[in-house]
Amino acid sequence: MLSRSLLADLAATTGRLARIQDKLSSGKELQRPSDDPFGASRALQLRAGLAENRQHQRNATEAAAWQTVADTALSQVGDLTLRARELLLRGANGTLGTVARQSIAVEIDQLAEAVKAEANAEYGGRYVFAGSATLTRPYAAGLSDAYAGNTQTIVREIGPGITLDVNQAGSAVVGDGSTGLLKALRDIAAHLRADDVTALQGPDLQAIDAAHDMLTNARAVVGARTNRLETAIARLGAIEESSQLLLSETEDADMAKVLIDFSTQQAVYQSALKAGAQIIQPSLMDFLR
Amino acid sequence: MAVSTFLGLQTALRGILAQQRALDVTAHNVANASTVGFTRQEALLAPSAPYAYAAASQPGQLGTGVDVTEYRRIRDAFLDVQLRAQTMRLGSAEATSDGLRQVELALNEPSDTGAASLLSRYWAAWQDVSNSPENLATRQTLVQSAASLAEGFRTLDGQLATLVTQAQDNVAMTLAEANSLGARVASLGASISDALVNGSQPNDLLDERDQLLDRLYELGNVTVTSGAYGALTVTLGGATLVSGTVASTLSEASFPPGGLTSGKLAALRTLRDTTLPGYRADLNTVASTLISQTNTLHAAGFDLQGLPGGAFFTGAGADTIAVSGALLASPGLVAASATGQPGDGARALSLAGLHTTVDPAYSLLVTRIGADAQEAARTLGNAEVLVDALASRRESVSGVSLDEEMTNLLRFQRGYQASARALSAMDEMIELLISRTGRVGL
Repeated sequence: MLSRSLLADLAATTGRLARIQDKLSSGKELQRPSDDPFGASRALQLRAGLAENRQHQRNATEAAAWQTVADTALSQVGDLTLRARELLLRGANGTLGTVARQSIAVEIDQLAEAVKAEANAEYGGRYVFAGSATLTRPYAAGLSDAYAGNTQTIVREIGPGITLDVNQAGSAVVGDGSTGLLKALRDIAAHLRADDVTALQGPDLQAIDAAHDMLTNARAVVGARTNRLETAIARLGAIEESSQLLLSETEDADMAKVLIDFSTQQAVYQSALKAGAQIIQPSLMDFLR
Repeated sequence: MAVSTFLGLQTALRGILAQQRALDVTAHNVANASTVGFTRQEALLAPSAPYAYAAASQPGQLGTGVDVTEYRRIRDAFLDVQLRAQTMRLGSAEATSDGLRQVELALNEPSDTGAASLLSRYWAAWQDVSNSPENLATRQTLVQSAASLAEGFRTLDGQLATLVTQAQDNVAMTLAEANSLGARVASLGASISDALVNGSQPNDLLDERDQLLDRLYELGNVTVTSGAYGALTVTLGGATLVSGTVASTLSEASFPPGGLTSGKLAALRTLRDTTLPGYRADLNTVASTLISQTNTLHAAGFDLQGLPGGAFFTGAGADTIAVSGALLASPGLVAASATGQPGDGARALSLAGLHTTVDPAYSLLVTRIGADAQEAARTLGNAEVLVDALASRRESVSGVSLDEEMTNLLRFQRGYQASARALSAMDEMIELLISRTGRVGL
């Protein structure tokens, strides 16, 4: 009877030692769902949440890079617009000769080409100002200013259910053959060639100022988006950190506690063995003659 | 009427013989101290029939010594009943817990390789496609991660199916064991009845039969009814296994509906017919939800060429789910776009959004399995503790304690010596009578 309970106790202690050993070698408190079903489902949720969070961070970083490309292009276009306005003011000067106006017109045409080149900016092989037709070059070089992209938006998910438009259509930024900056530039060039000082001083100046406002607006949109993305990235990072902490609390073994448990169980096991060895040995036979 | 002079000799002889028998029994106990299932025996001593003599002045009865009336097994029938009830629970808990532990192993959660992380990777791949839908490399990654997700589902379902087959094999083996135990109980029954009819005490055969019955209780809910001359009627799960000396061979069809309620057999059958198929059905629901919802959304999207998407997954459930072969061959066919434009990843984003329906369903399955396994482990722990405690109590009643046997040895040895001394006292007395009396005139 004594030996039976001794064996049962020893088996129980070795079982506990094995469990602790498992925890020590894996560093995980949760080995199987049955260790803590609620904890396990929490761990699964946290893991899924973490994966989603990391993906959102990737999305946001990618969207931010997109904004950087767009911002650089827009700033170049802004410089070109200012240069065009300077040339316009010079060309609108009534004292300027026809030949001089012709050469300014040539430079304005060059500026229009440069604007189109900037509006064809690419990010990772995609045209950023082409709407969702990202594989179609939005503006062709040459005299035609037609916009080949579309006005659809491209969205990125930067949080659970939170999406952000990352693109702006080229037609809304630099216009096409009939509106916007490009139309203004082409008009200016035409009026310069025609020596139409009145048009240059009046509607053209207004048109280029309006186009510049459009650009400023587009850059403001990019800036606002960049801000939002930076906030989102910081927030996602903080959430990742806290989820990681929660996951670790749910799943990971508390090493100090496990080690203390380990030495406690080891001591229990050794004393059980020792006590067993001493209890089992003697019997009445040792004491009868 | 006078009492015979030799009565005392006879009385002392009875004492010597009885103490000898008691010593024999003690020796038998000591010899079987470590025999499994052995029940401590005891020679039951009782005064032998008294000699009634009717003298006119002193009517009365004169003791004639001692007799061994019975060699008794020291066994507490109530403890047997308790222990066997717990053994039944233990058998059931062990089978359930074993099965569920294997399910947990197959599930492999929470980990970086289980289906949950395959799902996570799959959703992330859709998001990547939505980020750069023009890029064939991200589409390739998506298709590959979808393929490994599908394989994960199929493997898990296959493992569950294997566990069902294993449970079936276990049921068959357990039934075979029950039948063989039944046959041995029946044949022992014949020997026991013979011995009892002859008036002898087949203690060791009874021990062997009790041990067989102990094991039978582990397998299912057993009833044992005793009849005349030790004949037993044993039923297992409501079906008669042994009737006296006749054993039946049980098959699964033998059990009446609802007859098998506990023990290893019942647990294995529940595992095979209810628990495991339930998990498979849940897994199947998760997979078929994934298939149907993905395919619906995918068919409404457009691929890289601007053509409407086809089926993303083929198959109907966890056992058949696979990525469409056309997509594996050309990932450009993944319908990531909602409008047909190559840069539009809106459809991919809504497909990634399916995680809000699929993930919780899978996590629920894991929780369910975990809770079931935890419950089974707890029941097993309880049953083990109870069985241990009851087995120890039975051991303390029926087991051989060497200290006690040594004491008995001394007691019976002394009894034997004293009876022998009584015999020689009688002998001296008679000797005195024979050789010293009646010598007048010699």
